[in-house]
Amino acid sequence: MRTRTSSLLLMLPALVLLATVFLYPLLRYGWLSLQASSVLTGLLPVPNGGANWLRLLDDARFWTDAGQTLRFALCSVALELVGGLALALLLHRPLRGRGPLRALTLLPWALPTTVMALGWRWILNDPHGPINGAIRSLGGTSYGFLSTPATTWFFVVLADVWKTMPFVALLLLAGLQTIPADLEEALRLEGASRVQILRRLTLPLLLPYLSLALLFRLAQSLGVFDLIQVLSGGGPAGTTESLALYAYLNAMRFLDFGYASTVMLATFLLLVVALGGGWLLLRRGGIARATERPA
Amino acid sequence: MRLLVLLWSLGPLLWQLRTSLLRPEALVAPLLEGNPWTLANYQLVLSGDPPFWRYLGNSTLVGLATTLLTLLLAVPCAYGLQKLRGPLRWGVGLALVGAAMFPTVLLFLALLEIARSFGLANNLLTLSLPYTALSLPLAVLLLRAAFADLPGELEDAARLEGLDLGQRLQHVLLPLLAPALASTAILVFLASWNEYAIALTWISRNDLLTLPIAIARIGGGSVFTIPYGAFAAATVLGSLPLLLLVLLAQRSIVSGLTRGAVKG
Repeated sequence: MRTRTSSLLLMLPALVLLATVFLYPLLRYGWLSLQASSVLTGLLPVPNGGANWLRLLDDARFWTDAGQTLRFALCSVALELVGGLALALLLHRPLRGRGPLRALTLLPWALPTTVMALGWRWILNDPHGPINGAIRSLGGTSYGFLSTPATTWFFVVLADVWKTMPFVALLLLAGLQTIPADLEEALRLEGASRVQILRRLTLPLLLPYLSLALLFRLAQSLGVFDLIQVLSGGGPAGTTESLALYAYLNAMRFLDFGYASTVMLATFLLLVVALGGGWLLLRRGGIARATERPA
Repeated sequence: MRLLVLLWSLGPLLWQLRTSLLRPEALVAPLLEGNPWTLANYQLVLSGDPPFWRYLGNSTLVGLATTLLTLLLAVPCAYGLQKLRGPLRWGVGLALVGAAMFPTVLLFLALLEIARSFGLANNLLTLSLPYTALSLPLAVLLLRAAFADLPGELEDAARLEGLDLGQRLQHVLLPLLAPALASTAILVFLASWNEYAIALTWISRNDLLTLPIAIARIGGGSVFTIPYGAFAAATVLGSLPLLLLVLLAQRSIVSGLTRGAVKG
């Protein structure tokens, strides 16, 4: 009992700060979402009996953004997992200059998202960016990559993959280092090909790390904000707007704190549902795989 | 293979480097035309008001304060969590994982309200409070895994010698945790250096901006007037410290995540 009390005492300062920063906002949004608190009420909260939630159900922009956010998250996370796995396998091999290579490939992840989002905007600039420069020197005409919905979406995903793939690779690299080298050696002596080793040994043992990376990245990309705010501003015509950006606009541009809170809380709930679903799927897949393989 | 990977990772950065060394009129010239290099963009950024050093200094200050405060809170918390038994240990662990995954942008409105009512806005040291909270979940999880790796007999022996908890931590446990502390510190520092949404809403005074906000502001204005040369120079200057940090600490970052991910 004594160790229990002293353990809790040791944890108390950290837990208080965590509760203030993570738990309080959710409770506050819950309360604010039941108030009208906008320019119309002089930014003071006035109870409005769930009108925000009714508005949300009927808000086409919210549901469009929800679909766009989900699509963005699924596409970029899938690409990040595949690319991150390939990168991790490469960085795991005993190459010359592996240390600096690892460091340099990590660099995109270490740089501020907003900074590199602006960098991408310059690269895609119409007509002076390098891509359009190359197109023109080949005799074509420059293209408005960021004024066409399809290409904007593509480059938002690409910029996200570029930025976070190293992080996924890092997590998977950590997993690869836990696989004993002699297991791989034994399989190779049995005459297994590299693909077979990957399928029979590496991937099954990497599964916990892949799941971790998947859930973590899914949560982060469902809340994507700064990349989109800077790279496309949600445009053209709202086609790349994410839920978090919509919530931000409601709060900081439309100054409607009641509705912004509703959007944020709803985003959080959708996130919990999506992650819960993903987790169940992974668990079921994991169990199926485990029973499939004879011990 | 290696070359391709490097090109993919560094290409956009190298383009920034090239842009930062060109005059504005050279930026709009055809791609392959030979152009004289210039440091004019760097001079422009460094002689701005406030000079660019100021933002580097601001971000460094917030980063150091956040790292220090996070470690001060995370070490006892991780130790306590490691000693805790029963459902509470499981519950706190799960809550920490959930908090580590939480997309932080969703917190900004409530945090802004707190900042306003307690007068915490426009202050670099108070900005490190929410930053500490955002970094704590990962830090506690990583350090708990490191505590779990230490042999239990070690602490028992120190206890029999009559050392109290503070002494045990200071003389026995923490020296052994040095690698884990270092990699945790680097991850916390990086997260604080790059944070955007909270800095954007908490800091409005021009001389207190952190690096990501300052650079995004250079790129502000209308879409057509972004001074890309100056912006690229700012990017390069702002990236150099991170490049050094990652080059020096690459091993530490990888090993830190290895330990944490195995246990988490």
